[in-house]
Amino acid sequence: MQPSLFAKPRDLFLDVVNARDYVQIDSVSHMYQSLKSSVEKPLKMILLYGKPGTGKSMLLHKLHYDLAKHQKVHMISTPIVDEDDFLRVLAQNIFGHAPRETMSLTRFLEIAQALSLPKVPIVLLDEAQLYSPSLMEKIRLISDARAVKFVITLHKTDKEDIIAKEHFQTRIWESIELKNATPEELKVYVQKKLLKANCFDVANMFNDKNMKLITALTRGNYRETNKLLFSLFTLYCWYEEHHPSIIQYNAIKPKWVEMAAIHTGLIRA
Amino acid sequence: MLDIRDLERRWLKYKIKSYAPLGLGVAVALAVTIGAASWILSEPKGQPTTDIPPKTAPKKVPLPRSVEPAPEEKTTVLEPSMEFVQTFEQTPSTTQTAPFPEPKIPAASLPKKGASASPSLPVPPPKVLSMPDTPIHTAPAASTAKGTGRTLSINRNDSKLDIDELQKRFKETSNPNLGLFIARYYYDRGEYGEAYNYALKTNSINDKIDESWVLFAKSLVKMGKTEQAIQTLQLYVRQSNSESAKGLLESIEKGTFK
Repeated sequence: MQPSLFAKPRDLFLDVVNARDYVQIDSVSHMYQSLKSSVEKPLKMILLYGKPGTGKSMLLHKLHYDLAKHQKVHMISTPIVDEDDFLRVLAQNIFGHAPRETMSLTRFLEIAQALSLPKVPIVLLDEAQLYSPSLMEKIRLISDARAVKFVITLHKTDKEDIIAKEHFQTRIWESIELKNATPEELKVYVQKKLLKANCFDVANMFNDKNMKLITALTRGNYRETNKLLFSLFTLYCWYEEHHPSIIQYNAIKPKWVEMAAIHTGLIRA
Repeated sequence: MLDIRDLERRWLKYKIKSYAPLGLGVAVALAVTIGAASWILSEPKGQPTTDIPPKTAPKKVPLPRSVEPAPEEKTTVLEPSMEFVQTFEQTPSTTQTAPFPEPKIPAASLPKKGASASPSLPVPPPKVLSMPDTPIHTAPAASTAKGTGRTLSINRNDSKLDIDELQKRFKETSNPNLGLFIARYYYDRGEYGEAYNYALKTNSINDKIDESWVLFAKSLVKMGKTEQAIQTLQLYVRQSNSESAKGLLESIEKGTFK
């Protein structure tokens, strides 16, 4: 049996954040370069914020992937809510020290000072809005002491944005905002992703009209786009198996995009 | 695994839902358009009564709804017709004067003998003479009057009055055509003496009218003066070579004309 044309594209859009899947889009690339240059400056804290699905996590993963080759970088993708655990993980991963006693902020700073590294280590904190204010205060103190340089990401919801701004107003040296993708950016993202995997035929099926529809449905959210396209290619796989004659290979069928959107919950029907 | 059938059903539901407001909007827009169109179309019906009164007026007359345009309609259409009906009903006798001897001759002046006739005298006579030679026939009058004896007698009186009027006009104008007409009138009624006189007068005015000479000769024959008639016709035939005169001469000589 001939392998499905749409199985590979479907798997490409699984919602998994992997730095190797990073797709270079002009605007995001610009942001990334800006972030990279900020990291190299003697800044204590860098804030990366934006609405959900704008690529913050991907950018952070990409940064981790690139920086890890040259310096000490630790990334905490899943927030560690407990303060003791948080400090203990940091001490172990950055300084290689795993004390048996309870880890306090004072103790952590003593360790950092004792094991001072030639270059300030970098810690990447994803989903920082989930950290408690007291822990965030400790993170601020650690960065002020120049023991660790933090790059944190925050969701830019109205409420969280205010909290973040108020909390980090005097501590942040650099902040970068990521925005939702435009239809053009999303098209580049989808096609580059497909072309990267040699799915040329499928990549050519996406035209401007399709991308406008997809952008309207996902509101330029990369994560939602991934989910939608995964469902769409699952649909294509099914039709390819059961009704191959109705598949048009020159363009994506808007009806199936909408069906995929219904399946993913982007359309309520 | 995706349930494609369920998805397709939900998609159809979604499309119907998404197009429903559009369909509703279109329906409302259509309704408004149709309403407006029907209103606009109904509007002009009221206006044309003022714009084109002559055409629409007859139809509009029985409908007493429009108050403002009514005056125009009445003046243009209604009043004339009403007057016509009134005059028709009021003067039955005048209608009977008209059919008389080809209405035009004395029509205007016949009912009134006196002064009113004189001003119209100079103009009508030529018209009268050009008409057919059966002026005194009451047949048309009788037929139009449909057998009412009184009206018939009135016609005759009127015709008498008319011929008097014509004789007056003939005296004043000496129109040969008028003289011939009067001669024919008397000949048809058997008054051959009068016919002879007017034919003679006509011949004296214009001696080249065949009919007048023929009528003169016939009147002579009727009065028993056949020889004089033959002589007169022979003289006239020589001068004019008239076929009608020849024919009459032959018939008189053969004795067929009496």
